[in-house]
Amino acid sequence: MIRKEAIEIAIKEIGNQPIISANGYISRDLYNVYDKHSNFYMIGSMGLASSIGLGVALKNSKKRIFVFDGDGNILMNLGSLTTISSQKPKNLVHIVFDNSVHESTGSQPTNSNLVHIEKIAKACNYNHVYITKDQNNFLKIIQKIKKLKGPIMILVKIQQSKGQRSERIKISPVRIKERFMQSI
Amino acid sequence: MKKLNQERMFNFLANNGIKNFIGVPDSTLKHFIEQGLKKKKILIATREEEAIGIATGMLLSKSPSLIFLQNAGFANSLSTITSLVQLYQFPLIFLIGWRGYQKNDAPEHKKIGKIQPELIKSLGLKSRIIRDKNWKECCNWVIAESKNGHTCALIVPREFID
Repeated sequence: MIRKEAIEIAIKEIGNQPIISANGYISRDLYNVYDKHSNFYMIGSMGLASSIGLGVALKNSKKRIFVFDGDGNILMNLGSLTTISSQKPKNLVHIVFDNSVHESTGSQPTNSNLVHIEKIAKACNYNHVYITKDQNNFLKIIQKIKKLKGPIMILVKIQQSKGQRSERIKISPVRIKERFMQSI
Repeated sequence: MKKLNQERMFNFLANNGIKNFIGVPDSTLKHFIEQGLKKKKILIATREEEAIGIATGMLLSKSPSLIFLQNAGFANSLSTITSLVQLYQFPLIFLIGWRGYQKNDAPEHKKIGKIQPELIKSLGLKSRIIRDKNWKECCNWVIAESKNGHTCALIVPREFID
């Protein structure tokens, strides 16, 4: 499965719930698959999607908050996992799309295939941690977690997209912020 | 700044609408942070950019937020400030402890301390130097700036050597 296919599966279950998406192709794919007001596209500040997601989750305890992260992104902000652990947000679902490369900059290796990000999340006391590379299995997991308490991590091992590029986000950053704030 | 004024400053901000205090500890701001910890209103992040990320998430939820950090950590965060805080226009309040303000501070603080005013200027970030004599006026200023949707900074010079 490539990232866009994985995002399409996730969106089937997430629907209109808030998503904070990491910079690069992750936000671009989400924008192309299903743009909505409650998507916060983080177009710069690489690494920080999980931190922004934590901030939103802590202030909106009755809503489920989803983070669409990447392997390069989370490896740049591993400390975030310990802070999430300290705050225990029950409503945070952290999905990491892992292709083991920085695809947005030309597919240089991230070395995520040499370590176990799912084990790091477990060691950081995430309540539930899943790893999958299969589309049907990913759909089952994302259905199953609806009744579970977070923090939850789903590590989705994906293939590189090979030329299937989503277009850039055409909404201004200030507008992205404003419409997200109105939606939440 | 004196211990008592740092404590007063924390209480004043907390009592005037600032809901979240997130950051990385700094000895210049020690008493401010300790007061916040006593009141259970402090969230300690692993590094400054992470603190900014969490604070912007809270601002997305319309919850007024301040981050506290040392000027070294402020310098670490330059790109996050330009590509997240300023790009999306988040009304975040920075409280920055200024090491290297005095010429005889520890060697690791000298260079970054010297260029601190230029960094703020280059970013175009509105700021005030806060001291014992003007803390209340400065706090009122950041509260007003943040309400008006502006990013702003208070800088606390370290006027002692330990």
